[in-house]
Amino acid sequence: MTVVLVDDARGLALCEDADGTRATVEIALVGAVAPDDNLLVHAGTALTRLERSR
Amino acid sequence: MKFVDEFRDAEIGRAVAMDILSMVEPGRHYKLMEVCGGHTHSIYKYGIDDLLPANVELVHGPGCPVCVIPMGRVDDGIAIAHHDGVTFTCFGDMMRVPGSNGSLLDAKAAGADIRMVYSPLDALRIAKQNPDREVVFFAIGFETTAPSTALTLKRARAEHVRNFSVMCSHVTIVPPLKALLESPDLRLDGFIGPGHVSTVVGGRPFQFIPADYGKPIVIAGFEPLDILQAIAMILRQLSDGRCEVENQYKRVVPYEGNLRALEVMAEVFELRPHFEWRGLGFISHSGLKLSDAYADLDAEVRFSVPGVRVADPKACQCGEVLKGVIKPWECKVFGTACTPERPIGTCMVSSEGACAAYYNFGRFAREREVV
Repeated sequence: MTVVLVDDARGLALCEDADGTRATVEIALVGAVAPDDNLLVHAGTALTRLERSR
Repeated sequence: MKFVDEFRDAEIGRAVAMDILSMVEPGRHYKLMEVCGGHTHSIYKYGIDDLLPANVELVHGPGCPVCVIPMGRVDDGIAIAHHDGVTFTCFGDMMRVPGSNGSLLDAKAAGADIRMVYSPLDALRIAKQNPDREVVFFAIGFETTAPSTALTLKRARAEHVRNFSVMCSHVTIVPPLKALLESPDLRLDGFIGPGHVSTVVGGRPFQFIPADYGKPIVIAGFEPLDILQAIAMILRQLSDGRCEVENQYKRVVPYEGNLRALEVMAEVFELRPHFEWRGLGFISHSGLKLSDAYADLDAEVRFSVPGVRVADPKACQCGEVLKGVIKPWECKVFGTACTPERPIGTCMVSSEGACAAYYNFGRFAREREVV
């Protein structure tokens, strides 16, 4: 999912998938994120940030 | 689409299939287990088994989280849902898993307040919006899902949400793999390792597979080229006489896993002495429960549950399917009495279940072969 908005104070991000569906996502496991970052999200929690270089 | 299209390229797929063909020894039968239900789904959806030589067989493993929940746990969930003032929440697939006297969906139809959620965070939100209700989340899944439950429990504690609790049925992936490797029923040549579980646990927990059992394992992603490449990497190890843990899914899986996720799981959960797996029986230290520090948020402490072991229906052969001993279509009730619309066994419920995946994508190909 792609990060749209970040709420650092609450450790949450609003994310959007390829179909445009939006969901609130826990970001405590992936460190700092910013809008347009791509996250692997499972059951409402971001498990990793996707980077092309890997 | 970024991170997807490049892993569905037909031309590259054909090249990898030719690479695989060049590596297999004629006369040798290769039996490879895809551990994860997500892989099973992709294999049937994209027809990956049709691209393999006839002597490379894919065997479906126990990595579908819904499929391994025994009937007794469903009964326990329904018992909690019937308590006065309880709103019971769970993932959608879990609602259709049959218990001994119907599913959670049947209980909902009979009047229980049971709601589908996409995440434990959704369940916590329901709890905050309904302070007069006791909201219970039925937590299932492997190490991929467990961190999400753990973080939600920490959030519930931090935000003083007292009407929220969790019925914990999380499981871990290594013990069932050990049980399968010890099983005399199954002789495997290698494993397609679970991609998203490895995002959390990393590659290290799988070292015992080459070290103790002399089998290769390749952690793989879920797109068709990921799986084809992982098969090629396993065959290359076998051809070279090597066996090790390799990582095909490096764009997502770091070898060390997600240390923060492992820390939060260690804080919130502890291992149960035993946990019953559907079809596999009781496996030691394979299930998680809430640690003493979080026992006040444990639904099984807060509510009484029957906790009775219930045998699977005699007609159901999910156990053999989960162990890879039989193929879905070899089950007596596959596609007749047991369908995704009216499942008897769990493997027909979830989209990650081998029976549902084969029913949805593979059965017509087999009918063509028969004709």
